[in-house]
Order: sequence, then C-alpha cells, then structure tokens
Amino acid sequence: MVAANKEMSHEAAANDRVMFGFWVYLMTDLLMFTVLFAVYAVLHGNTAGGPSGRELFSLPLALTETLILLTSSLTCGIGMIAARRGSKKQVLVWFSITFVLGLAFFGLEMKEFAEFIHEGHTLQSSAFLSSFFTLVGTHGLHIISGLLWIVITLAFVLKRGLNPHMIRKLGLLSLYWHFLDIVWIFIFTVVYLMAFV
Amino acid sequence: MSSTHSTKHQPKSEHGTTESYVIGFLFSIVFTIIPYLLVVNRSVSGSALLATILGFAVLQMIIQILFFLHLGRGPKPLYNVVFFISTVSIILVVIGGSLFIMKHLHYNMSPTEVTKNRAEKEAIYQVGGRKTGACQAIGANHKVTIGDGIVNPLHTRASLCDTLTFISQDNTLHEITFGPHPRHDTYAGEDELPLRKGRGNTITLNQLGTYQFHDHLHPELSGEFAVSP
Repeated sequence: MVAANKEMSHEAAANDRVMFGFWVYLMTDLLMFTVLFAVYAVLHGNTAGGPSGRELFSLPLALTETLILLTSSLTCGIGMIAARRGSKKQVLVWFSITFVLGLAFFGLEMKEFAEFIHEGHTLQSSAFLSSFFTLVGTHGLHIISGLLWIVITLAFVLKRGLNPHMIRKLGLLSLYWHFLDIVWIFIFTVVYLMAFV
Repeated sequence: MSSTHSTKHQPKSEHGTTESYVIGFLFSIVFTIIPYLLVVNRSVSGSALLATILGFAVLQMIIQILFFLHLGRGPKPLYNVVFFISTVSIILVVIGGSLFIMKHLHYNMSPTEVTKNRAEKEAIYQVGGRKTGACQAIGANHKVTIGDGIVNPLHTRASLCDTLTFISQDNTLHEITFGPHPRHDTYAGEDELPLRKGRGNTITLNQLGTYQFHDHLHPELSGEFAVSP
C-alpha cells in the first residue's frame, strides 16, 4: 500500500515536472508571438500605397475561422476527458474531429493567403503585409505542427493503447491546442476586427 | 474536497468536466460574436469600440485559461501561475513600450517628412516618374526680417516654388516654427529653423496655402505667408 502510494506520487511528480516544462515552452512561445504582435501593431499602417487591412480582410471568413478553432478546442477538451476515463475509442473519435476542424481552419487560412498573393499583395508589398503574413503565418505553422502531432499521437494510441504516459502526452497536446486558440483570439481581435474600427 | 462525489469516473477537479468545457465553449462563442457584431454594425465607434473589443479579447482569454487550460488548479505551489503572470508583464512592457516609442519616433521624425525634406534639399523633384513634391525650378526669393521685437513684413505673398528667407537682425536666438503658438507644425519638411545672430535660413515654398509661423522662443513674434500656384 505504501509502496503503491510512493509509486503514485513519483508518477505524479514526474507529471508535474513535464507539465511545468511544457508550460515554460508555451510561455516563451507566447513571448515570440508578442514580438510579432508588437511589430504588427507598429507597422500595420505602413501600406506603401497598397491596400490596407480594411480593404483586404473579410470579416465573415475570420469569424468562421475563429468559430472552427473554438469548436476544435472544445472537442479536444472532451477528448481529454475521454482519455482520463480510459476510453480509447472516444479519444480517437474526438481527437480526429479536432484534427479535421484544425485542417479546415488551416485550409481557410491558406485560401486567404493564396487570394492575397494571387491579387499581387505579397509579403514584399508593404511593411503592413510583411508583418501580417509573418504573424498569421507563424500561427498557421503552429497549427500545422499541432495537426502533425495529433496524427502521431493518435497512431501511438492506436498501437499502444491508453497508458499513463499516453494520457500525459495527450494532456500536453491539448494544452498546446488551447494555447493556439488563445493566440488566435488575439489575432482575430487585433488583426481582423481592429482593421475595421 | 467534496466527499459527496466519489464515483469512479468522476474526473479530478484540476482537469474539468464535460459541463465545464461546454460552459467555457459557450462563453467563448458569445465573447467572439459580440465584438464581431459591434464592429460590423458600428454601434459604437472610435476608441470606445477599440477598448470594447480588446476588453472582450481579454475576457475571452480569461475564459480559455480557466475553462480549457485549467491554470491555477494544479498542485501547489503554483509555479506555472507565477510564470504566467511574469510572462504577461513582459508582454505588456514589450507591446506598450514598442507602441509608445514608435509613436513618438513617428511624431518627431515621420518618414514622409524626412523624405520630403531630403527631396527638397537635394532638389530631387521626381523618382521613377513619381513626383516627390520638391520644386523643379526655384522662383523668386522673399525675405522676412526678425529683430528687436518686429517681424517685417507680417504677411508675405508668394508663388509656389519661391523661396522664403528668415533673417535675424538682433543678438537673440530665434527658433522659427510653423502654426500658431504653442503648436509646432511642419512646413516643407522643416519643423524648426534656428536663426542665429545676423544669419538667415531659407525654405522652399513647396506647399500651397496660407501658413502661420512664429518664434518658438519668443511667441509674440509671429507672421504668416500665403503660397498660391
């Protein structure tokens, strides 16, 4: 009984350490986004005679992206509850839904980028567009990494089942996904909504 | 803490339940839709709208942190909360500091003004077929003398691309700037013309309209000039 308790607390301590380490990573990542946000805030008016955000952005598209990402955060959370209950099948279902929503979000983001570039508004057009593509593109890159991570983790779940290590990995994954959601909220507000104020 | 619920499947309080996730989700949807509608319908405007939508973003963040990230519900001591708070302070310093510094830099040295000034000084009246606003041919010269409390003449009429020379005739330092005192406007890329004893300083009149000028050190010394095509 005592030994089992010790084992438990050892496992829990390791969990806490990993969680804290990952949290430190997330916060440093947040600082990187902060710098990109600061650059955008400073440069968003420098359009070099080109179009401004108000002329380029589509608010309904940005809203759709936001709702998709928020929903994916919910499905990710429900998947996490399923993981802690030990329901492998539900984990696979909910995280797959998260993956599909994430992919849809990324697709919309890329569609927007492609339209801008097709109309000749590229990274090189103005300081505004450089900072826009860098900020939103970095978020997109994080989303793609998250999608890859989901695929890899689900493959492991499928192969090895839900052991405590797997649950911890899923926990980190969901933390990362929720974090991207928060960053997006600020992109939605600062980049898209504020362009129309 | 609550001993009434001890079902096997009850998730630990630090992780949240399906209900808490759904509640958080609904909150986040509401906090997305409201600022969106405010912006689309323009029911509020200007800085009030800006403050409102930023406020909703912060509310949204708090909701996400409480309901999805479960920050602050882990084992104590809460190092991650401390780390989060310090990160937020750095964020505020970086964003606030950048905006503050760049705004002042822009105000004192706006790129257009600097470019205009340079174009005028180097007589670059076009670059790649685009007019810079600098004059191609310089017209007549007008003089304004400043000394012993008198500006002469008080009104100057000139044509575009004429030049205007301010001449100091006393022993005090004058600083000619534009607009009514205490404003410090810019004309032709110049925001301040220092006039030392007996010296002059010339500007090219490349902006149409009527402008006031004054001595920033002795605001009672003022006058105006009108530039017509």
